[in-house]
Amino acid sequence: MENLMFLAPELAVVATGLIVLLIGVFMSPQTKNMLGYLATLGVLAALALTIQSFGTEATMFFGTLSIDALSQFFKLVFLAVSLIVSLASIKYNENSDHTEEFYSLVLFATFGMMVVASANDLILLFCAFELASLATFALAGFEKRNARSLEGAMKYFIIGAISSALMLFGISYVYGATGTTSIPMIAENATLLAENPIGLVAVVLLIAGFGFKMALVPFHMWAPDAYQGSPSVVSSLLAAGSKKMGFVAAFRVFIVALAALQPDWQLAFTILAVVTMTFGNVVAVSQTSVKRMLAYSSLAQAGYIAMAFVVMTPMALTGGIFYTLAHAFMKAGAFIAAGAVVWMITSQKTGNLDIPDHLDSFRGLGKRMPLAALCMTVFVFALAGIPPTAGFMAKLVLFSSTIQAGMTWLAVIAILNSALSLFYYARLVRYMYFLPPEGKKIGMPFPYAAALLLAVAGVLAMGIWPEPFMQWAMDAAQVLI
Amino acid sequence: MLPVASLLILVPLIFAAVTFFTKTKEQAAGLGFLGSLVTLGLTLYAYMNFDSSTAAMQFFESIEWIPSLGVNYSVGIDGISMPLILLISIVIPFLILYSWKEDREAPNRFYGLILTMQAAVIGVFVALDFLVFYIFWELTLIPLFFMVNIWGGEKRVHASYKFFIYTHVASLVMLLGIFGLFYASWQQTGIPTFDIRELVTQFQFFESSLLRDAIFLSIIFGFLAKMPAFPFHSWLPDAYSEAPTAGSVLFVLLKIGGYGLFRISLPMLPNTGNPDLMITMLGFLGSFSILYGALVALRQKDLKRMIAYSSLSHMGFVTLGAAGLVTLSVSGAMFQQFSHGLIMSILFMSAGAIQTSAGTRIINNLGGLAKKMPKLTVVMMVGFMASLGLPGLTGFIAEFLVLTFSYVNLPGFVLLALLAIVITAGYHLWAMQRAMFGVYNEKLGDIMDINSLQVFSMAAIALLVLYFGLNPSPVLNMMITNSEAIVSLAAALGV
Repeated sequence: MENLMFLAPELAVVATGLIVLLIGVFMSPQTKNMLGYLATLGVLAALALTIQSFGTEATMFFGTLSIDALSQFFKLVFLAVSLIVSLASIKYNENSDHTEEFYSLVLFATFGMMVVASANDLILLFCAFELASLATFALAGFEKRNARSLEGAMKYFIIGAISSALMLFGISYVYGATGTTSIPMIAENATLLAENPIGLVAVVLLIAGFGFKMALVPFHMWAPDAYQGSPSVVSSLLAAGSKKMGFVAAFRVFIVALAALQPDWQLAFTILAVVTMTFGNVVAVSQTSVKRMLAYSSLAQAGYIAMAFVVMTPMALTGGIFYTLAHAFMKAGAFIAAGAVVWMITSQKTGNLDIPDHLDSFRGLGKRMPLAALCMTVFVFALAGIPPTAGFMAKLVLFSSTIQAGMTWLAVIAILNSALSLFYYARLVRYMYFLPPEGKKIGMPFPYAAALLLAVAGVLAMGIWPEPFMQWAMDAAQVLI
Repeated sequence: MLPVASLLILVPLIFAAVTFFTKTKEQAAGLGFLGSLVTLGLTLYAYMNFDSSTAAMQFFESIEWIPSLGVNYSVGIDGISMPLILLISIVIPFLILYSWKEDREAPNRFYGLILTMQAAVIGVFVALDFLVFYIFWELTLIPLFFMVNIWGGEKRVHASYKFFIYTHVASLVMLLGIFGLFYASWQQTGIPTFDIRELVTQFQFFESSLLRDAIFLSIIFGFLAKMPAFPFHSWLPDAYSEAPTAGSVLFVLLKIGGYGLFRISLPMLPNTGNPDLMITMLGFLGSFSILYGALVALRQKDLKRMIAYSSLSHMGFVTLGAAGLVTLSVSGAMFQQFSHGLIMSILFMSAGAIQTSAGTRIINNLGGLAKKMPKLTVVMMVGFMASLGLPGLTGFIAEFLVLTFSYVNLPGFVLLALLAIVITAGYHLWAMQRAMFGVYNEKLGDIMDINSLQVFSMAAIALLVLYFGLNPSPVLNMMITNSEAIVSLAAALGV
């Protein structure tokens, strides 16, 4: 009999999801607001259980699930995002008749991501990947009368479905060559793959499959549309949460299982990382929709994190893993702040209602919604890597590790990209603080304020006192080496 | 004993934060002034308790910050940083008084940014950990950028972005050098550390001379671009002349580039792959900055632009004196930083006053201002005389020390710089003559002299220029002590 206590965080999330779904049916739209608080509590409990279980190690269900420092770190990432998203969604779902569906989808997606984080078997990994993906497909199209939301969801779904197929195809090749789907067993038999041309095909297919989730160029086509069209809280979940699912899967599959093929995938990731960060930053400069700009900036950030696969030193992996948590707070927060502005524009019915997240909506935000503006400033400065924020520490570790490995050229590219990104982030700050407001001051709804402050706390904590997070990231990196 | 080094960062920072929330101009200026006075008090306390007979670090504090990367929050003050802290703490209160009666939008941000700038610059001076150093180094960019971008002249947007991008990219190159230093030392000793003094010491043990050169050059590039030195100066004229007066003075007080040279680059220099080449390079950049700055200043039409180029020329003495690598030439270079900060503050304040009163800074459109602005003329004259190196004022001492003692090692470059002395005297006197003396230009109409607060603040700085010109030892002694330490290190290695 397995000791289910190891799965306590996952069980807490699933149980909350099921309870929300069940009792929501019997509630009126007015009382459904409490479901949000219930979901938030469930995530909070799961988060506490995860942190409490730090340091335990176990494998379960015939070795298909592995509880280790890596999986725990990523569970922390997913639960933190989920917490911020659930909190902010309380306002988004106010007086809606579909609250229970929304929350159960968010919670199931979170559950899927958490299982991906601990999956030690390709089939389980694939199933969990699909669970998270299907839930997020539905969430992206949640505003079913909003054409943009539907367009984004449709693109996301079609490209997502194709990439799932590619991933499964890749897994089948790996299985064909090695005769197993267990990650440690593949690692043992990796020579079978390395000596077989099929190995190369498998690597290409898997990179395409995971690259879609990580939104690496050229598998990114869906991301700007989906991030812009989806409700902001969902964009937040997609960019900050489900993107990291791609990373944790890639960490385990490439670095642990396919270590023998390192030269092949390392080359691929080198090209992908450089192209992704450069493309993301260059295109972000010309965006006028803030959510779209954040989407491209999210590409750029994925490019930075992908550098961990290129450098492959313990320091680089620590940096990459640390970066995922930092990015989770920064990006989740930034999308929620954009969501608060969208809410302001739509509820006031003034301004650019067609594109409520247009840069113009941010004019004088410092006067209209001081808290949202201040938090947004913290997030964009963090994304740009300005101290004392999480983004700075993450870049410090990750970028500096390239020097250690002697890849100065990569550091130069990354740093130049980072300098370029400052341009569009600073422009947003200029709009918020140095342009006159167009409209009166708006009170900040509590759920948004709480979610933003939570994310700010995360960003600043990781920037000012990074030691515990750094230690966790180091432990997580140890699993991979 | 108070933890002065930390307080010197914290006090202006806290006052800055509070100032941002003030509503009226009086509150903002008053609170800013109070903050700068408290900082000045702390600085004087540090100065009184400072022992100038030792090159060791004083007021040292260290707290563990990120042990896994070897980052500590460590700060301290020695003879290299003390005079520069003194400089900025003295000038800022007078700067606030000078701008007290000016009307501008968002005074709370204006004075808040001045104090933020002060905190950041002092932070660079006291930091003994590369990460802390770099954080404050980058923090100085933000107030200056907004200073130019919000309250600057017509071409402020262009000037502010140019300044920001130029020096930010240079800082990133420096950051790469710091990373290189960090990892090479980690590999060497097996212990990660960001401690500046430790890393500078470890530098000599790196095996590859190519690596040492690359680290040295990338770090010094950040410093030279910030100082700035020819040919990395192209942001300077735009930023200095487009900035509001207070912004220009803050630029002048931004002595972090030169400071980095003494704190980090000079101790590393003897251990580079080819020290002679590096010294020649620095000497060349220094003397060329002096000559080039003076030549370009000579043909400027705009008074403020002329002063900006003269600033480039004067900063050349810092590079040249550092390259001289003799105790007194290095002390001269340090003293030049101190003296230049005081003198240029007067000059930029004068140019600002002329702009406000006469409505133009184009030298040919001025003329005979002495008749209408006698008070300004007197103070400005002191500033210009100090700037051209009149004996008895601080500029003379600095330039004399640099030129005399750099001659030992770099005779050729000193001769080049001597050429510029004549030109320097020329453009200063010529500008003064055209703008202030002669027949009054009636087209300017009836103009007002500077107000009493401006007289007071500019005269006070002018008196300090005179005082330190006659009696430089209160700051020069500690500079000599620390220069000796730097030079003896070089001498021990036979450079």
